Amino acid sequence: MDQTTMIMALVPIFLIQLALMIFALVDLVKNPNPNGPKWMWGIIIVVINLIGPILYFVIGRKNY
Amino acid sequence: MKQFLLLLKKEQLENIRNYKIYWIPAIFILLGIVEPTTNYFLPQILESSGSLPEGAVFEMPTPTPEQMLAAIMEQFQTIGIAVLILAYMGTIAGERKSGTATLLYVRPLSFKAYFLSKWTTASVISLVSVWLGFLAGYYYTFLFFGEVALIKVLQLIGIYSVWVLFIMALVLVASAIAPNSGFAAAIAFGTYLIIQLIDGLFGLNWTLSPVKIPQYGVEWLTGSPNSSVWGAIGIAILLTLLLFALGSWTAKRNKAKTKV
Repeated sequence: MDQTTMIMALVPIFLIQLALMIFALVDLVKNPNPNGPKWMWGIIIVVINLIGPILYFVIGRKNY
Repeated sequence: MKQFLLLLKKEQLENIRNYKIYWIPAIFILLGIVEPTTNYFLPQILESSGSLPEGAVFEMPTPTPEQMLAAIMEQFQTIGIAVLILAYMGTIAGERKSGTATLLYVRPLSFKAYFLSKWTTASVISLVSVWLGFLAGYYYTFLFFGEVALIKVLQLIGIYSVWVLFIMALVLVASAIAPNSGFAAAIAFGTYLIIQLIDGLFGLNWTLSPVKIPQYGVEWLTGSPNSSVWGAIGIAILLTLLLFALGSWTAKRNKAKTKV
């Protein structure tokens, strides 16, 4: 596999990861009462790729 | 109609505020990406997992691009549908529990408009997610495995969309019937599995069964269309309309279950 295909494959994943991370972090900062400590969610969102922000949206927010 | 538009606006606002509009498409895009990527890198993954004896050689057939798209659809059929059910299990049942419903039900509410507004919003979000997921999968299949005619992919997406619309109606009806959202998810999952099981066991000759719609999509992708596909789609649409009626009726009947 040559370099360009690799880059073309990685750029979309990187963009999705970046967008999800920013959305999740902005929401976490604004969220007055997340489901668990804020610093823990911060670490999860930043460290775990792709799954971290989704986990935060699904279980980290108290929807109801 | 006016009420429907108003309720639609409320639903949209709710879906933006709880970020479903972002994370459901993200999950589907990921599902679409992961399948071709893991398939492409499978030899390297096996190699680096390291439990193979020295000099073991694997002859792995490279999947055709069409097979890859079919595999992506399989992923949507299991994980994707599960995500959709979990995301929308609480649309009516959870509203009853949280008290939003009390604010709505004291007004002269048309339950048809109420149910349809919920279904429309949930369907638009899940359809866009499924489309984005397929397009992401198509892009990666194109990069790693080769080209499929775009029109073929669009056909698959179109046929699969009918199935998604049907499933969303099913989820919302389950949510209208059940007393809480966990129960709703159980009903929706149960029905989803049981109809597939029944169709798999006895449905060999039920060519018009809506459960076969995804299968017909794959058949059309790899070859010529099955002649029963339009009949199956027609029946799926009829069943969806029936589910609308059932959903708005049960939502109305269960409004006494609202917690104040």
